[in-house]
Amino acid sequence: MESGIEIIVKEEQDDRALNELFRQKLGGAEVIPSSDAGMILMRKLARREFLRFNPARFNIWYAGGIAAAGAALALILTSGPGDSNEPVSPQESTIISTPASSNDKNPDVPAITDVKADERKRSSDIRKVVIAEKPSVRTESNNEAMSGAERSGTVVSTAEVPSVPEGGVLPGNLSDKSQLQSASGRLDNLIAASATEGCTPFRVQFKNRSLAYDSCMWSFGDGGYSRKRDPEWIFDIEGEYEVMLRVYGKDGKHSFSSIVIRVHPKPVARFEISPEAALIPNDGITFLNYSFNADKYRWDFGDGASSELFEPKHFYKRYGNYNVRLKAYSVYGCSDSLVVQNAFGSGYYVKFPNAFIPNPNGPSGGYYSNRSDEYAYVFHPVHSGVSEYQMKIFSRRGILVFETNDINIGWDGYYKGQLVDAGVYIWKVRGNYINGEQFTLMGDVTLLKNQ
Amino acid sequence: MMSDPQIIEGCAKHDRKAQQELYSRYSGFLLGVCMRYVSDRAEAEDILQESFLKIFFNIKDFSGTGSFIGWLRKIAVNTAITHYHKHLKFRYHIEIEEFVSSETGISSFEEDLFTSDELYKVLNELPAGYRMVFNLYAVEGYKHKEIAEMLGIDTNTSKSQYSRARAVIRDKLEKLRRLKGNYPAAD
Repeated sequence: MESGIEIIVKEEQDDRALNELFRQKLGGAEVIPSSDAGMILMRKLARREFLRFNPARFNIWYAGGIAAAGAALALILTSGPGDSNEPVSPQESTIISTPASSNDKNPDVPAITDVKADERKRSSDIRKVVIAEKPSVRTESNNEAMSGAERSGTVVSTAEVPSVPEGGVLPGNLSDKSQLQSASGRLDNLIAASATEGCTPFRVQFKNRSLAYDSCMWSFGDGGYSRKRDPEWIFDIEGEYEVMLRVYGKDGKHSFSSIVIRVHPKPVARFEISPEAALIPNDGITFLNYSFNADKYRWDFGDGASSELFEPKHFYKRYGNYNVRLKAYSVYGCSDSLVVQNAFGSGYYVKFPNAFIPNPNGPSGGYYSNRSDEYAYVFHPVHSGVSEYQMKIFSRRGILVFETNDINIGWDGYYKGQLVDAGVYIWKVRGNYINGEQFTLMGDVTLLKNQ
Repeated sequence: MMSDPQIIEGCAKHDRKAQQELYSRYSGFLLGVCMRYVSDRAEAEDILQESFLKIFFNIKDFSGTGSFIGWLRKIAVNTAITHYHKHLKFRYHIEIEEFVSSETGISSFEEDLFTSDELYKVLNELPAGYRMVFNLYAVEGYKHKEIAEMLGIDTNTSKSQYSRARAVIRDKLEKLRRLKGNYPAAD
């Protein structure tokens, strides 16, 4: 008991001592940067300062701004008398704020005013319609409210507004005038969505269930909008979005409906394998979990075994090419997975050329190095991480013409002191890498002779 | 010689000379910070440059109330964290020997036994995740909860990574100590 406590105390002291060591030695340590680091930094700094807006400096933005302002002024002067009834100032500001595309933007400006004019016209249309149709439409809309999904839509009329109790927009006893100005009604069932809850990036297919209408306008609550009948939208950022659909009837009546879409963060599966240069099967492999936005995990080690621990440790029975998969789940049922293919692949290799030209002046013994063998006098592999190695070379008749157990010795093209004939020879290699992975390779090489 | 407040004021106006002065005065210290967070020097210098760019562009936000050097260090640390997130690797690039729990007989580490170069090397050889957590907790003095937020991991992950990092470091230091012959081999 006592000794147990003592150990804990000691460990805590150790702990502090270790941290203290690093804090003392490295907390304020200085390392002098290489001499050109400062120069590179100043160059980067100059570049970024130039590209950044800085009122204290005359730079590219200012030049651009002045050019745009000049262009805008010229535009106003030339088109001045034609559209004198248009307010000038908004147009001007639009142009200046987007100097690069002032020409593209220009057509937009009248387009916007068109819409406004349209709406103005529409609301005056509504006035007539409402007065004429109010009593009859009211009964119709009552039916509609009960009939639900299938029959929803038709032409939505302003007269429905009072009949939808939680309509929210218009209280029942509004004066005719205000009713006309915001002539709209909320309906609950205009929108059908393929899903209302999911994870980023969340793709939702929306359907406009109105049966007959003139035009419609979707706004997705994240700044996006669409005029398509059945748009598809992707929500990239988590959050709650109120998606709104407005439908406009031929006679200018319009109504809207909304639906809430909940978008959750997508879990991200991340892990590292430790230790990297593992000796399988001797080493236990620890999987370090760096996932986030997740609370449940499933590991598939690639050898048939699996685990649901946060950071499992696994022993492989033998060396192999394993694909390790981590699937991370969030509480909202979303998941992400990461597969590390051939997780214990070493990156070691043995590769052979397919031709060589022996030195005609006599056998060399087959020693090579990358420097001395630039004429490819010796047939040998390039390699990495080889621990055991055997190479045999056969003629096409099956005679063993060369054999070595040393990877540093290649074939110089001689057999029993005689240069062999030009032609194709077969090689066979086997051995293993330093991590225990075995290899067996076979191929052919063409022996060439300088004429 | 310029004083710190003069340098800060100059940098806020994008005065080249003040910027150069700031760099020559603090680059050594900040590279010392960066070196703890990465596995090699070139990477550390990248982070150093990125940190200085942030410092130059944001120096007007420095309130002047806290310690200036602390502010600089915080920027370097944050830049290192951003860098870590960007380059989060799925695999380690260095070999860590399988850790065998060290004997409890060994108590404190004498400070003078290890040079800063050696300690940097120990940190550089750690897996990136371990290195981040150990630095933030042991050297910078953040709490596990804060570290978890900064790195986007679970608090418990931070704790367990810290204790594993400590174990690996302790093991490396023991080996180093034996290598240096200052300590008789255990057993």
